[in-house]
Amino acid sequence: MQSNSHDAGRRRFLTGLAGVTGALAFGKAYAAPRPVVVMTSYQGEVMDRFEAAFERAHPEYRLNILWRMPHDALPWLEKPEQGGVDVYWAASPRNFERLKKEGAWRKLGVDSAGLTDKIGKNRLADADGYFRATEMAGYGFAVNTSRLAKLGLPVPADWNDLTAPKLAGLIALPIPSRVGFAPVMVDIVLQAYGWEKGWALWSEIAGLSVLVDRGSTFVTDEIASGRAAVGLSIDFFVASAIANGSPIRFVYPGHGGINPGQIAITAGAPNPDGAQAFAAFVLSEAGQRLLADPDIRKLPVRPAVYAGLPADYPRPFVAAERGAYDYDESVGLNRLTLLGQVFDAMLIRRHGELVGLWQRLHTAEAAGKDMSAVRRELCTPPLTELEAADPALMRLYRDKVEGATTAPGDVEARWNALCDSHIARAMQGLAEAVA
Amino acid sequence: MKRSRWLGLAGLILIAPVLADDVTIADASREAFSQPMSGLSETELAAFMRGRTLFRQAWVVSPAQDIAAGLGPLYNRLSCIACHAKNGRGQPPETPADRMQSMLVRLSVPGVGPHGGPNPHPAYGDQFNEEGVPGVPGEGRVNLRWDEKVVVLADGTKVSLRQPRLVFTELAYGPLDGALTSPRIAQPVYGSGLLDAVSESTLFALVAETKPDGVKGRVNWVWNAAKGGIALGRLGWKANMPDLRQQSAGAMIGDLGITSPLFPKQNCTPAQTACQQAALGPQPELSTAQLNDLVAYQAHLAVPARRDTESPAVKAGEARFAQMGCAVCHRPTLHTDAKAADPLLAGREIHPYSDLLLHDMGTGLSDGRPDFMASGQEWRTPPLWGIGLAGKINGKVFFLHDGRARNYEEAILWHGGEARVARDRFAKLGASDRMALQAFLDSL
Ligand code: HEC
Ligand code: HEC
Repeated sequence: MQSNSHDAGRRRFLTGLAGVTGALAFGKAYAAPRPVVVMTSYQGEVMDRFEAAFERAHPEYRLNILWRMPHDALPWLEKPEQGGVDVYWAASPRNFERLKKEGAWRKLGVDSAGLTDKIGKNRLADADGYFRATEMAGYGFAVNTSRLAKLGLPVPADWNDLTAPKLAGLIALPIPSRVGFAPVMVDIVLQAYGWEKGWALWSEIAGLSVLVDRGSTFVTDEIASGRAAVGLSIDFFVASAIANGSPIRFVYPGHGGINPGQIAITAGAPNPDGAQAFAAFVLSEAGQRLLADPDIRKLPVRPAVYAGLPADYPRPFVAAERGAYDYDESVGLNRLTLLGQVFDAMLIRRHGELVGLWQRLHTAEAAGKDMSAVRRELCTPPLTELEAADPALMRLYRDKVEGATTAPGDVEARWNALCDSHIARAMQGLAEAVA
Repeated sequence: MKRSRWLGLAGLILIAPVLADDVTIADASREAFSQPMSGLSETELAAFMRGRTLFRQAWVVSPAQDIAAGLGPLYNRLSCIACHAKNGRGQPPETPADRMQSMLVRLSVPGVGPHGGPNPHPAYGDQFNEEGVPGVPGEGRVNLRWDEKVVVLADGTKVSLRQPRLVFTELAYGPLDGALTSPRIAQPVYGSGLLDAVSESTLFALVAETKPDGVKGRVNWVWNAAKGGIALGRLGWKANMPDLRQQSAGAMIGDLGITSPLFPKQNCTPAQTACQQAALGPQPELSTAQLNDLVAYQAHLAVPARRDTESPAVKAGEARFAQMGCAVCHRPTLHTDAKAADPLLAGREIHPYSDLLLHDMGTGLSDGRPDFMASGQEWRTPPLWGIGLAGKINGKVFFLHDGRARNYEEAILWHGGEARVARDRFAKLGASDRMALQAFLDSL
């Protein structure tokens, strides 16, 4: 396809010199810029800024953007010659790993001077040199501080602060199986607190939450309006709203996580030189500085760039030294979709009832009752960590990427049944406790 | 004599109240053009949110497992928001080498086209689409070159005015010889539902009024695709679109290549064979429900409230604006139709600083391209509400239909034709009056 449009480019060049009445052809010899085809899922502001800056820095090239969500990008990049794409640039670590195994990339070959290969436990560069992180996004909490103050609650510093009963109905929770960035969040908590404690935390947090679906309100709407006090989010969504004047604050929790956006050049790139020029530009000082634009607000991977950023800009490399980024994404990589489905079965499917149950439980506890048995029911996931690590089960879910919909198979039916029985016993336990 | 008539004009201005109401929002942040009206019901708010997602959505090449599939085959940009950044205005490219990121070029050939509209170019259609999906050559490249000239104000101040020239290259479908062209930057979209709700009779009454300074003003008559008949034009730089719904569906097909129930055919001309043969997903690519949401979003974007209205400079500038006759066209106050379909928008006093009428603005601003009843020299008075926030929200800001003006002063000095008298009064102002006028415009 690309070879087609490349020919077309040349043809256009030949026919294009015909002038237009009232218009003027370039006086000098004019060479049509060669296309660099970039497949991406970045929001428009990112692409618009990089397009303008790259084309100005490299007038010999013209960016041709093919926008696709990660689950749609994958089959395209699995076509022969990667479907004519030169560069893949996106925040989808799973696509980069998988396509690497399939031989879709060539070595990036961009000068790595001034770039680092790791932040915390996260790799920023592929060990074999096929791709590299170009920017990072951090997970955390969007908070409405005045709303929290009215509730008499401190600004949450870590995930376990989100279980305060006063937060009931005031946490905005993106549905992990539906909102691309959210599964990693599920895993951050599981890794930080352990499987059992982690799911217990999620159950209680979900019990206090309102759900945010893809394509509906943004977490920032919920927080800015005060309808919610805390929103689970990723920094740039919130940071650009803050930079643009929204009355919100973003908090990086003690146990944080980084979602890297990465770049790779395809093995079959029709324009490898242009692809390399683009990758090098994105990683250059000039490219990295663009990330701080108030409408983009992502975290540069070139540490030196932070020196020129405002004092209140987040400093992830500094935070990493304090252990804020010990989350190991390589563990998560294979199980993210699975976690999203477990989350659905346990916490989303019957969310309305879950909210009611937690409310009654909190009331009973406030009255001094021992509710540990009911808690246990609400907090137990439908499978153990060991079961979740079963290679057969992992295989079932590994290849499903963000946004793909999975038909509930036998496995999920079993989880649903288990979760239903937990809920039934919790209801019974509560009924007995108040009786 | 002359002086007293000037003062008489001031009577036209009803001092606009600035308080926020259900459709106006007191917000001067960079998100000020992106807020829902406060009077929305929960259902309306949900539609607003869904429409916002569509407005921001990057459309993708078919086939795809995406709610937003069907980009192209020929198109300009991937999303509405790409041109209407933060729901505000677009801008021309900064240098002659830069691409158009938030403007487009309308095309036609002499003669009248279907339904009395512009006569589309046989090979390129009625809009220059620079981009094509893989396998479909984009139509080519268009860049802007600027010619500068200097005008001197009464107090000796020199102002440099620039005018664009289009440069087409890499034309993929043969020469564009003889084509009529109209470069236009994207317009702000907030408040468009309120403009849509101004009744025909209001506009007829404005036309009928006797106006000073040789100002006339008339309505455009355009094609209403939904009704299959002639309708009054309200939106677009030449009031070339009848309503928000058609404007939105028109942008979908014209700018993104997305078909809808209103425009179900892909935008390929007979000469564009690759375009005609491109693989398509399910049609139409935008459903009626999605179009409804997209319209609901734009219709319910609040208009930012005025700021600093009590400052002496702003008040002085407001008085100048009236005295110079600017308000004859840039009407501070209009009323929406009491019977408008959307009850939230119906029967309201609004302050768009526009009469929504076409005015002959002289040869300097002419694009030489008729658009329905509008001649090359005629343009719709653009609403000025929110214009004072444009710089803050859209970074560098540019005015007039092609973004040639780099500040208010240049925009005003380009006024000619029916606005010549007002323009000349402006050119006679001293520096402090000019600053007051600027302060007033900044307060809108
Ligand atoms: C390529 C840039 C571009 C894109 C993409 C674009 N627009 Fe526009 N928009 C414009 C231009 C230019 C105008 C003025 C049109 C004219 O005068 O004919 C405009 C005018 C409008 C107006 C009229 C505003 C008024 O007050 O008269 C609305 C509403 C609008 N666009 C909505 C949309 C929607 C919805 C989309 C996405 C489907 C969209 N636009 C995509 C450039 C764009
Ligand atoms: C005869 C009607 C008329 C009068 C009188 C008039 N204007 Fe305008 N104004 C227009 C029209 C029509 C345009 C759009 C022209 C174009 O885009 O080419 C415009 C554009 C503008 C713009 C740019 C708006 C934008 O969105 O780009 C500003 C600012 C403006 N006028 C201010 C003034 C001021 C100040 C005065 C008084 C000195 C004035 N106008 C008098 C009709 C008028």
